[in-house]
Amino acid sequence: MKRTAFATALAGVMFSSVAFAAGGESPPEVIMHHVSDSEEYVFEIPWPGIEKNPTLYFHNEVFDFLKWEKEPGACELALPHGSALSVVPSIAKWMNGCYDLRPTKNLMLMWISAALLLLFAAWPRRYKDASKLIPTGLRANMLEAIVLFIRDEIAGKNIGHPEAKRYTPFLCTAFLFILFMNLLGLIPNFGSATGSLAVTCGLAITTFVLTQMASFRSAGTIGFAKHLTGGVPWFLTPIMVPIEIIGLFTKPFALTVRLFANMLAGHMVLFFILSLTFLVTAWAVFAAVPMGVAIYFLEIFVGLIQAYVFTMLSAVFIGQGVAMGHHAAEH
Amino acid sequence: MPALVFAATFMDVNPGLVFWTLVTFIIVAFLLRRLAWGPLLRAVEGREQKITEAIESAKHERAEAEKLLAEQKTAMTQVRQEAAEQLQKAQESIAKFREELMAKSRLDAEAMKAEAARAIEEERQKAVLDMKAQAASLALTIAERLLEERMDDAKQKQLAEWFANELGPRAKA
Repeated sequence: MKRTAFATALAGVMFSSVAFAAGGESPPEVIMHHVSDSEEYVFEIPWPGIEKNPTLYFHNEVFDFLKWEKEPGACELALPHGSALSVVPSIAKWMNGCYDLRPTKNLMLMWISAALLLLFAAWPRRYKDASKLIPTGLRANMLEAIVLFIRDEIAGKNIGHPEAKRYTPFLCTAFLFILFMNLLGLIPNFGSATGSLAVTCGLAITTFVLTQMASFRSAGTIGFAKHLTGGVPWFLTPIMVPIEIIGLFTKPFALTVRLFANMLAGHMVLFFILSLTFLVTAWAVFAAVPMGVAIYFLEIFVGLIQAYVFTMLSAVFIGQGVAMGHHAAEH
Repeated sequence: MPALVFAATFMDVNPGLVFWTLVTFIIVAFLLRRLAWGPLLRAVEGREQKITEAIESAKHERAEAEKLLAEQKTAMTQVRQEAAEQLQKAQESIAKFREELMAKSRLDAEAMKAEAARAIEEERQKAVLDMKAQAASLALTIAERLLEERMDDAKQKQLAEWFANELGPRAKA
């Protein structure tokens, strides 16, 4: 097992190096290209001995029917230099009336992760027969250990019974979905979809929606509104209500940025260390490869930890929503 | 503006990707809920319930067994006690019976002894009287024969009475 993992890591590092060599672009460009979303997805298979590596190529032109323009030419938006919106060109396009729903590279990676997750967790299901009391097989046992941990340690302790049962499936899916996306990025030629703000934002929205649903379920509309006043004297409510409303959004915002930044940083660090070989001296390969391997293993850990943290915090937020009913009752 | 280009490439939030993330997540969550978590959690809960039930029933059965054992023990003790009592009673009754029998037989024997003694005494008295009579008549006969020649009737009679009186007490002793 150990040897296999090590070989995988080393191979990953080597493949990436090959990619640098073959690309002809400068290392920072390659790194930025790797960590950014893209309209195209190039899957290059390293193949020694031939001129050009075999390549799978995807461009989202084929999904052009998923793009709508409010008026012709809305998508050919040229932002002026220094515009604040140039940091978020996609949002600028949407604001301009270019509604682009075409799948991108990160969506491809997410779908691959989702397919792997479905294969792992749902395909040949061993729980069809509920009368079988003893789980058999590696996968069934792994799944059971994960699900029971989430049920007892995450949902049970942060949400509390009996509401925990309602949110356990969501937390299980969130954990494994994020974990699969995180770990897919460690396989050469793939990437982490969670290294994109849009993806982590979408994931945090699910937590946000569930948290608000939990609050409404437990406190009711009036209790929810009352909670927004924070229990301060009436003349302070004009200050308190906006703060509380902002507070509702800071939690999912923190989830979004934490996961995104961790995954992005991991990949960037790994690539920058490797690109020392190209930026400084070829001799640096003897330092860069062992360090890259170390970062690779760290990334396995980080991927797991971040999936856990996201799930854990989701459970905490939902638990706070569930507890809102008790607070409302106290006021 | 390379710095801005860098920023623009990964700080972007593509609304289309947010949309697809939500769609994908909801589909995956739904599928996994139906195909994986639901059956898995049901199986686990069923197992937990069965184990709890098994433990409960084991406890119950053990309590039952202990109760039965205690009952058995009580019954045994009782039976043993009863048997001992019965034995003692039997022994007592035997002893009593023996005593009664002994007393009775002793009485019988005494009665028989007394009867025998009485009969012997009676026989002896009879025999003594008999002997007395025989001795008297014998003596008379002898005396008659002796005195036939020398005495008359008067002297004879006087002598005979004297004999009888002298002999009587001696015979009695």
